Amino acid sequence: MISRLPISTVHLRRAITIASFSPSTATQPYPPPLFLRPLTYSAAPSDLAAFRRWATARATVDGPRLESSDGGPGASQLLRELSWLLEDATSQSNGKILMRADLDELYRLWKERIEERKPFQYVVGCEHWRDLVLVVREGVLIPRPETEMLVDLVREVEGFSEGLWADLGTGSGALAVAIGRALEDKGRVFATDLSLDAVEVAGINVERYGLKDKVEIRHGSWFEPLKDVKGKLTGLVSNPPYIPSSDIPGLQAEVGRHEPKLALDGGMNGTDHLLHLCEESATALRPGGFFAFETNGNIQSELIANHMSTKWANCFHNVKTVLDFAGIKRFVTGFRR
Amino acid sequence: MGLLGFRWARSRILLRKFNRSLSLITQRPPYMYPSAATCSPSFSTGTFPQVSSDIMKIVEQRMVEIEHRSAYLLEQINQPAVTAADYSRSNKELRRLGSCMELIKELRSKRKDIDSLKSLISESSEDKEMRDMAVEEFYVAVEEEKRLQNLLLKSLLPKDDADEKDCILEVRAGTGGEEASLFAMDIFKMYEKYSQKKGWRFEVVDIMESDLKGYREASGSISGPGVYGKLKFESGIHRVQRIPVTEKSGRIHTSAVSVAILPQADEVDVHLRNEDLKIDTYRAGGCGGQSVNTTNSAVRITHIPTGMTVAIQDERSQHMNKAKALKVLRARLYEAERSRLQMSRSKLRMEQIGSGDRSERIRTYNFPQGRVTDHRVGITNHSIEGVMEGESLDVFIDALLLQEEMEAIATFTT
Repeated sequence: MISRLPISTVHLRRAITIASFSPSTATQPYPPPLFLRPLTYSAAPSDLAAFRRWATARATVDGPRLESSDGGPGASQLLRELSWLLEDATSQSNGKILMRADLDELYRLWKERIEERKPFQYVVGCEHWRDLVLVVREGVLIPRPETEMLVDLVREVEGFSEGLWADLGTGSGALAVAIGRALEDKGRVFATDLSLDAVEVAGINVERYGLKDKVEIRHGSWFEPLKDVKGKLTGLVSNPPYIPSSDIPGLQAEVGRHEPKLALDGGMNGTDHLLHLCEESATALRPGGFFAFETNGNIQSELIANHMSTKWANCFHNVKTVLDFAGIKRFVTGFRR
Repeated sequence: MGLLGFRWARSRILLRKFNRSLSLITQRPPYMYPSAATCSPSFSTGTFPQVSSDIMKIVEQRMVEIEHRSAYLLEQINQPAVTAADYSRSNKELRRLGSCMELIKELRSKRKDIDSLKSLISESSEDKEMRDMAVEEFYVAVEEEKRLQNLLLKSLLPKDDADEKDCILEVRAGTGGEEASLFAMDIFKMYEKYSQKKGWRFEVVDIMESDLKGYREASGSISGPGVYGKLKFESGIHRVQRIPVTEKSGRIHTSAVSVAILPQADEVDVHLRNEDLKIDTYRAGGCGGQSVNTTNSAVRITHIPTGMTVAIQDERSQHMNKAKALKVLRARLYEAERSRLQMSRSKLRMEQIGSGDRSERIRTYNFPQGRVTDHRVGITNHSIEGVMEGESLDVFIDALLLQEEMEAIATFTT
């Protein structure tokens, strides 16, 4: 069988137990992600083929409409998602088809995808990001491909691997886990988030990657829970909510209807949280410390970079904007004097 | 026969006999391994072939050169004032010569043994028992000397560094429309099955389907020890003769599929500088980032100096698409560089098997007659199902490896 999943996920699948998915303070229990469920169901090849045909037809018919309505997925994207759904949900061995969910559920999940515009990542309960497979669910922001680059920017900082790092607004814990994996003996990551959902999901991902002694998750707002490491941080990263409040109703349904507003809304200009981070970084970072923020794009990057170089000029130097792979100024980076 | 004397002329005759017998049976004859010419016992005598004196003279010369070079390098790395760069360079070369030096030491020691046995034989002319024992040991030592000489010769032959590497397989449907695409798919799957039988890892990189679900283009990555060395002969045009599924009147059609095997390059072989790369991703209209939820993380990388472009879209994260694209780009650049180097080498080398000329028609698959013929070694296999199931490719590959080795011996002396 051809494997398309990163090899590292294979042994991690067995590590986690279902018990860790019991509900926290949320009102409804969240089911475990598909790829972590046991293969307790099976299906006849003809039935599975029927599901495939039906799902393909729905994708082909509805895709173009979703795309043109609000920039949603087109047919080809939906078809790719369908193949990944089946990859996560089924397994073939000795000509038998084993499944992690029954066919009824697969039908239900695909309907949710198409009709309710539930994000694919929430449907399967995970997101492939960098070389990781992260558990995600409603209540946490789905890590974006752009954000992958923040980890590369961190790795370019000399001596990063033995330093103390902070991931502010960690969400699913994506940045914290990726940085944590690259650290050596003395390196640590402190990940903060105001949302209890984030604290729970980030905790799951930190545990899955065996990083409990390297990554510490703290509940609270931005730098609030980091008073004990104030002035000692080697570096900090953040992908804070940066969408202007007025833009949120116009977003594609996957984002606007399903992802947490707390993780998206950046106030009137979208810069409320970014500006707060700029100010607090001055005291949080040690001399020579590094910062990297993700922003909403060209205008915001220039604004924040400018802000750092003028209002906080006495605190920071070497402030730069960095392009993402789509050619947009996506990140602002710099160093504490 | 000519100047060489070494029984490669005999090996040629053996190869022809082998070809003929192979047409009748589909099972691989027991003794025909790739290095049969130099290392395994020959058919009739069960001993190792004697390396000709002309070739041995050259081998002796090379032995002395290598011994001197090794000693010099050892001295270099033991200098108190050696720089890190010089140390690592000298050490690397020393390690490369390592296995050769081992053989040389063994051969010299074996020759000493033979000399002492010779004297023992002449001295013990009265003691029959002692003499018999010495004579017996003498013959064993002489055989061992021949074996070592053969191994040493083999290790001195020009080698392709790429033989140890993993490879990228690229299959493209050529002339023949839909039928060619369907055969391209069959060929692609044939290599997948062959790889699995060999215990190699086969990973699909990209597939472009045709209307009838054949493969217009398909590429895969094959990993395992010595993969490229085995599969490199597959580059070229594979021709198929059969009745297409689309054919209503039952006529046989001929179509073609082109196969390219590229050695996978690593950072050391092809160093890609960030400044030379332009990386593009799919851009959803607007700002991207948090405002968009997409599962399209396709990456396209352009190598600016050469204009070469690779686009990968089927991995589930942008990071993985980028990693795969870099892998394919490195392999293509490595291959382009190797072709360029080969063009500038001697004419003889260019005519060798595996020069990678992709427009060369190398094999014909005739389904109605159930046979596959490789035109380079003139071998026909009469179990086309076996070939397509990845079972009988070794028949061709072993013969091609043998031919490559014989040609390498020919260049050794020129």
